[in-house]
Amino acid sequence: MTPISPIRLPNLPEPLASSGVAGSAGSSFGNLLHSAIQHVEASSASADAAVKNYISGGPQELHSTILATQSAELDFEMFLQVRNKVVSAYEEIMRMQV
Amino acid sequence: MLDPLSNSLDRYMTLVSVRQKLVASNVANADTPGYKTQDIDFESELHNAAAGTSPVVNTVPGLRVKNDGNNVDLDREARLLAENALRFSVASNLLRTQLKTVRMAIEGGSSAS
Amino acid sequence: MSLFSTISVSASGMTAQRQRAEVLVENIANADTTRTAGGGPYRRQDVVFQSQQVSSPFSSVFQSQLDPQATGVAISQVVVDQSEPERRYLPGHPDADKDGYVAVPKVNPAEDMVDLLGASRAYQANVSAISAVKDMIQRSIDLFR
Repeated sequence: MTPISPIRLPNLPEPLASSGVAGSAGSSFGNLLHSAIQHVEASSASADAAVKNYISGGPQELHSTILATQSAELDFEMFLQVRNKVVSAYEEIMRMQV
Repeated sequence: MLDPLSNSLDRYMTLVSVRQKLVASNVANADTPGYKTQDIDFESELHNAAAGTSPVVNTVPGLRVKNDGNNVDLDREARLLAENALRFSVASNLLRTQLKTVRMAIEGGSSAS
Repeated sequence: MSLFSTISVSASGMTAQRQRAEVLVENIANADTTRTAGGGPYRRQDVVFQSQQVSSPFSSVFQSQLDPQATGVAISQVVVDQSEPERRYLPGHPDADKDGYVAVPKVNPAEDMVDLLGASRAYQANVSAISAVKDMIQRSIDLFR
């Protein structure tokens, strides 16, 4: 008769501390949002500078000014969409039954 | 969001604007004694990578000088006026299409956003 | 800002050509005037064109510097011909002097007519320039949509 060998549990990974998971996920989402915010702020600041330069009679051209403001607007729209997607993805993950 | 193409179009439109301004100056001074026709070297200014600098204004060689020292040729200026207007129109349409395309890509085809 | 100062340039051109046309018309109308209010025959007038830097329309509010590429024009002075008038032998003329000579204006109407055509053409060219620039400004604004 063959000896009965004890049941061996498969190698389950160590359960991570809950704060660890949230911490790393939170920091990556946070970084994403943070860099996006910075990019939008910079774009908006340069658009403001272009408009100021234009109305004070500097060498800025009309079409360049409009292009800068449109570009800043698009950056902001992009940021909004990214933020919405990121937030909804986060919420979806949080909703997952574990 | 300013990609290189938009930057190039921006620079192109700026150069065309400057050229048109010089054409207007030439036309206004068509009868000013001693006035010499002004222009910029469009091709070299376009390829000049330093986008922030003002283009260099030169006098145009090879024009007939009248008795009072003026060398403005109204036919040449009229031709450039039309040419610059068309170039600007093409560039602004291209730029508008660029912006629209980017906006559509962001909104992902959904109209309400 | 430069497209707006371009309109100022063309407007200055229109003003100058109009003034030139006015002076030419006055010469032509007075080609045979032997008696003026100041005495003597009509003396022809000529305009002198001079380049003039224009400032952008907003500069008075925002203190900007002159645009170096926008060269407008202005009539710096109207020169009245001071040389001796021509004298023509017309014994029966009411203004004839004791020798039968009349002092007549030094105006060649044909020459001034041709000049007038030139002024008209130059005026039209300035109008075309304003029209073209206005279109360019409109297209820039259309970038918004």
